[in-house]
Amino acid sequence: MIFSGAILLIATFGIVTRRGFADWLGAYRYQSIVLAAVTALIAYVTGIWEIYIAAGLTLVIKSIIIPKVLLYVTRNLEIEFKVETNPYVSLRASVIISAFLVALSYFLTQQIPFKSDPIVSTYLPISIALFLIGLFVIVNRRSALNQVVGLLIIENGLFLFTLTLTHGVSLIIEMGIFADILVGIIISSILLLRISRTFDSLDVGKLQNLRDD
Amino acid sequence: MELTDIFSGSNGTILALLLTPVIGAILVTVIRQKRISEIVTISSAFLILVQVFFIVSRIINEKTITAFGNTFYIDSFGAIILLPISIVGLVSAMYSVNYMGRQYDNGMIDMKHITRYYQGFNVFLLTMLIVPIANNMGIMWVTVEATTLVSVLLIMLYFKQNAIESAWKYLIIATVGLSFALIGITFFYYANINVINSSDAMNWTEMMHNSKLFDPNLVKIAFVFILIGFGTKAGLAPMHTWLPDAHSEAPTPVSALLSGVLLNCAFYCIVRFHIISSSTIGPAFSSQLLIILAVISVGIAAASIYFQKDMKRMLAFSSVEHMGLISLGIGFGGLLGVYGTLLQIINHAIVKPMMFFASGTITQKYETKAISKITGVIKVMPATGVLFLIGGLALVGMPPFNIFLSEFLILGAGLKSGQFLATSLVIIFLVITFAVFLRHVIRMVFGNPSPEIKNDSMGRLAIIPVVILGSLVFILGVYIPEQLQTLVHNASAIINQGGST
Repeated sequence: MIFSGAILLIATFGIVTRRGFADWLGAYRYQSIVLAAVTALIAYVTGIWEIYIAAGLTLVIKSIIIPKVLLYVTRNLEIEFKVETNPYVSLRASVIISAFLVALSYFLTQQIPFKSDPIVSTYLPISIALFLIGLFVIVNRRSALNQVVGLLIIENGLFLFTLTLTHGVSLIIEMGIFADILVGIIISSILLLRISRTFDSLDVGKLQNLRDD
Repeated sequence: MELTDIFSGSNGTILALLLTPVIGAILVTVIRQKRISEIVTISSAFLILVQVFFIVSRIINEKTITAFGNTFYIDSFGAIILLPISIVGLVSAMYSVNYMGRQYDNGMIDMKHITRYYQGFNVFLLTMLIVPIANNMGIMWVTVEATTLVSVLLIMLYFKQNAIESAWKYLIIATVGLSFALIGITFFYYANINVINSSDAMNWTEMMHNSKLFDPNLVKIAFVFILIGFGTKAGLAPMHTWLPDAHSEAPTPVSALLSGVLLNCAFYCIVRFHIISSSTIGPAFSSQLLIILAVISVGIAAASIYFQKDMKRMLAFSSVEHMGLISLGIGFGGLLGVYGTLLQIINHAIVKPMMFFASGTITQKYETKAISKITGVIKVMPATGVLFLIGGLALVGMPPFNIFLSEFLILGAGLKSGQFLATSLVIIFLVITFAVFLRHVIRMVFGNPSPEIKNDSMGRLAIIPVVILGSLVFILGVYIPEQLQTLVHNASAIINQGGST
């Protein structure tokens, strides 16, 4: 199980280091496949059949539908909008920061009194690490398109978090959360198109008409 | 469950309430005609209002309603959130006819946008209606997230730069914020399944029932996550940064719903967990956090209103101030404090939409939102000008209008509970807001209008919603109906059941 957790973290680092849109989308797809496998593993260990369905949904929605939707809506975007040329912290430094965030999440989870359970002790720190790395990616990237990847990482972290801690909230709610994400991704990609059209850029640093000064 | 059970008793009541906006949205989608979409949306909002009054009168007599097993649960506190949703929903639907119609006539939007707008309006009402009646905290989270998505769609109706910028910031900040809330909810759920492992463990009533047995440290961490998460959505400083953008760039009827109603829905979620946390570890922890955020909110709002150049942004920052006051009241606690807070929720939900409607009409007339370019409203549009002034006076807490009473109760509770520092800071900030807000309003209402203003009528539906809300402001300032008193009283008892500071 430690092994599968390590693969998940490696996949996440793969997303953090990718500059281009198509590259990180591919890395995200790998991460989602690993996540689905981890989910199936948890389903096998706990013996709860509903988690198998969640694993299936993860595989279908996150590794197939979301990448397809994102590729489809951004097909007309110019290539220069898709590459993160100038993040606030360089990608090399972000790997170090991400590693630091992983260590931090292991430290944090030791502070909270959880039941001793192999699933919780293996995956909970990883889920919190995903959440923190996702937050960091959103803050760090300048291109609105590449901020979406931060949201996706956060969401994968949340999914793993609820799954390990509670062995899956009920299936209906999982479906609701999946539906929210899917709609959120679609809306954000429509917004991206409009940003690129009206601002002629996807640099969020240029989104500063609305200020109080 | 038998099929007939779905339609009978409380199940039928809830189902009818939720189906009304669904049917409204479907009809708007199918028919695609401007006049009919308007009529459908107004009737759907009106039917919601009637049903909410029916539900609230049942709550006054029976205290609680549960439906579909334990999935839906309404108590007096939920009813207090439902009331403003239905009232503001109806007046916003009425105001939309004129406001969106005018933009349609000016060629700013076409029929496709009108259809999209009324679809979104109905779905937005649906998502907000589910929040205060859901017993299952997972469903509550899903619908709060859904309100974000629907309102982002409503804001990005226009292709303007500002609207798109604000929609993007709103979407990212609110989604990230709500992911914190989901972590908090998961922690509470985890605490609950450690006590009892049942399929109902996600229900608020079940959590409340077991709350005395929760692990105190876990509850503390969980509440912090809840406060950051839903606090972002409720516009509490310092997580409020998206609010002035989104509320000022949305179409005015949507701004009214966002400011008057949606903020309450998000704050409602915080209070639900405040109740559980108070029951586990006593109210001191969560109350202190609420008071700190409240003081920051009121302070930031005071400073921002002082420097404000945009009328709708000014109103949005006033919402930050009022959410701060509501948070302050819950933090102070005590029977009177919570009583005042619940009144404040209702009062703010009436006054803020009234101000947004008036400012929307002014904006369309003057074709600008800049405070410095708007003068002499009372000469150009006497009725709107007078109502805008009344709303402004009510908003800063001037007697005899309704907000005076609730603010007075909240600050009194602060002194009574011994929170002198927080109370005196907030009083100073309120005095500053009073002066600068009124200065802006008076400058806009009086003076001589510039001669370029077109002299055309704004239409009857631009003023009727403002008059309806204005009369409510007067009535609630001097007289609170007995039924409402009972309701607010029962709801304060629910919030205070964890004990008071």
